[in-house]
Amino acid sequence: MNSEGVVVSVSGKGGVGKSTVAALILKALVDSGRGSILVVDADPDSNLADLLGLETSRTVAEIAAKLKDDIAAGRFPPEFSKRDYFETRIFEILHEEEKFDLLVMGRGEGEGCYCAVNDLLTSILDTLSKNYSITLMDMEAGLEHLSRRTDRDVDIMVIVVDRSRLSYLTARRIRDLAKEVHIDFKRIVTVGNRVEPEFEEVVKKRVEEIGLEYAGLIPVDPNIASYDMEGRSLLELPESSPAVKAAKEITRRIGLT
Amino acid sequence: MSESMPVEISPVYEGERIRKQDMYVELGGPNVEHKCELVLAKPMEEVEDGKISIVGPDLNELKEGSSNPYAVVVEVAGKMVEKDLESVIERRIHDFSNYIEGYMHLNQRYDIWCRISKKAFNKGLNSFKWIGMALAKLYKAEMPFIEKIQITFYTDPEKVKEIYEQALKIYEARDARARGLRDEDVDTFYSCVLCQSFAPQHVCIITPQRVSLCGAINWFDARAAAKVDPKGPIIPVAKGECIDPIRGEYTGANEIVEKRSLGANKRFWLYSCFGYPHTSCGCFDTILFYIPEVDGFGCVDRGFKGPTVNGLPFSTMATQVGGGIQTEGFLGIGMEYYRSAKFMQADGGWNRVVWIASTLRARIEDAIPPHLKDKIATEKEAPDIESLKKFMIERGHPLAKKLLEMEAAAKAEEEKAPAEAAPAAAPGVTISGLPLPAAGGAGGIRITLKGAKIRINQLIIKKEG
Repeated sequence: MNSEGVVVSVSGKGGVGKSTVAALILKALVDSGRGSILVVDADPDSNLADLLGLETSRTVAEIAAKLKDDIAAGRFPPEFSKRDYFETRIFEILHEEEKFDLLVMGRGEGEGCYCAVNDLLTSILDTLSKNYSITLMDMEAGLEHLSRRTDRDVDIMVIVVDRSRLSYLTARRIRDLAKEVHIDFKRIVTVGNRVEPEFEEVVKKRVEEIGLEYAGLIPVDPNIASYDMEGRSLLELPESSPAVKAAKEITRRIGLT
Repeated sequence: MSESMPVEISPVYEGERIRKQDMYVELGGPNVEHKCELVLAKPMEEVEDGKISIVGPDLNELKEGSSNPYAVVVEVAGKMVEKDLESVIERRIHDFSNYIEGYMHLNQRYDIWCRISKKAFNKGLNSFKWIGMALAKLYKAEMPFIEKIQITFYTDPEKVKEIYEQALKIYEARDARARGLRDEDVDTFYSCVLCQSFAPQHVCIITPQRVSLCGAINWFDARAAAKVDPKGPIIPVAKGECIDPIRGEYTGANEIVEKRSLGANKRFWLYSCFGYPHTSCGCFDTILFYIPEVDGFGCVDRGFKGPTVNGLPFSTMATQVGGGIQTEGFLGIGMEYYRSAKFMQADGGWNRVVWIASTLRARIEDAIPPHLKDKIATEKEAPDIESLKKFMIERGHPLAKKLLEMEAAAKAEEEKAPAEAAPAAAPGVTISGLPLPAAGGAGGIRITLKGAKIRINQLIIKKEG
């Protein structure tokens, strides 16, 4: 067991390509043979599974809703451990791939109280995540995950920016809000996505102006669009693909590979 | 024994998950229909201490990468070993199995899912006898009242099926017994403050017959949680002396409520909506509300969007009920409480219920006593108070007689002083006569802040008018 596992989270403004960056980081990790990897797709607005060429599955949110339903209907045996049941159902929907496992969180809470269910979920995910040398999370857009402290165990926060001003503002807010809610990331880095090489200096300067570490840039890569269209996994992108090369450089710089 | 054990046995392996890629074989789990684990209390002479049996292929005879039917039967004996302890002893199979390096164990009863890792198999964990020896040793060490223990592992599909079917009946009987557990039968309740981030003075008291408001934590869950995390939000409550068995007032519960509500509340009547009702956080599954016009209760769940019989939707009432304030006549309650024999015991129980939102009714139909099934209205029969009154009288609801008397008295009153008479509760209007929390006013308001961090640039408080 790897109790020393690293938790890496990818966040940023909606539409900057978080999931693509997450998929490329995953590819770099897988290709480098970097131990066991748990990928958590926590962005309900995207579908990381699609980018990785996997069938969509049931989500943790669906299981939580069913658990609540069963309890309300009195179908749940009184002495049966809800945590264990929940944990087993989550393990059941885990995509177990050769080089990594993927868990899809799905769209958040339905109606009613999720205090108890979320409390169980936190402990279940903690337990699961300890079994991997790296946990890579694709967070939902925006900042809510911070205020819910979903990221409290994140070691490295990768904030994706593009050329838009709003993406920098979001990056800054993520850093500030993390401080406010006492989440202590060991490291925060920014990664530019879909930025033409001639704009790299501008992006780097802007990021550094707001006091964030710049870790590199994923260039516009026609292969990504065509793989996406054909429904092929980004993990199969050729080594020579510019985005793949860039992602390798970035994970090396962050110290992941 | 530990010298010959091929793998380590230690709590550090708790939470060990074995990835499909690293797994040698799978036992139980979603790919097989029959799997279970069972503890049986036996007479001393029927248990041969330390005996480990394997019925069907052993670990090294199973095909690598396969999923297999699996049953584990643990038979125990001892002067102190009673039938009632079976489920408590059985629960430890999970913990102890988790101590074994390379043996993943998830869940319980008929839903177990185990895996043996390739690594452990190659180290020599190639027979169930090792698992049996480890379990037997751990049981004897951690539960010394077990004097004799024998363990049988089944992988033969026919045998597993047989055990599985037998086990289901045993689980069912246990569930029936657990559902029958009364507050009188235990010395310990539990209190939960998981929701205090939303309602800092709210405390849930969880008893065998009163589930948490959110419905997610029953007495058994609370007992397990308190054991796992003694410093967590759920802690045991020594029941103390029972001050009032009908209203459900216990000294121990009162003490913990005062302590954990930061002094905001000092007494709880666990089985009543009046006097000192249980507070609500904001998380409750459903709301039970008093309808003064008919002196009965209405019940509504979160899923019901329209106005209830008193004209107020769930959301409006929720703001009055929540926040950890004792509000007579309004109570947030968990779904399972409707199935409890203590349900509103002090106020007349189910006989006091006159209206249930149809969405809620669909989920708790089984809880409604047979004699009331056709006497309790939903919004379909009774969208407002007037139609509710009619319905109750027509159907002969237990409160109908009293309702007729109330109506007659009101009519007499009206005739005596027609000038004063207000129109008898127009449909959709309501909460008259209810002790609602004063909005500001004479009593003032109390604000409790806990671990708060507030930044305000400007705050203006003005008296209106």
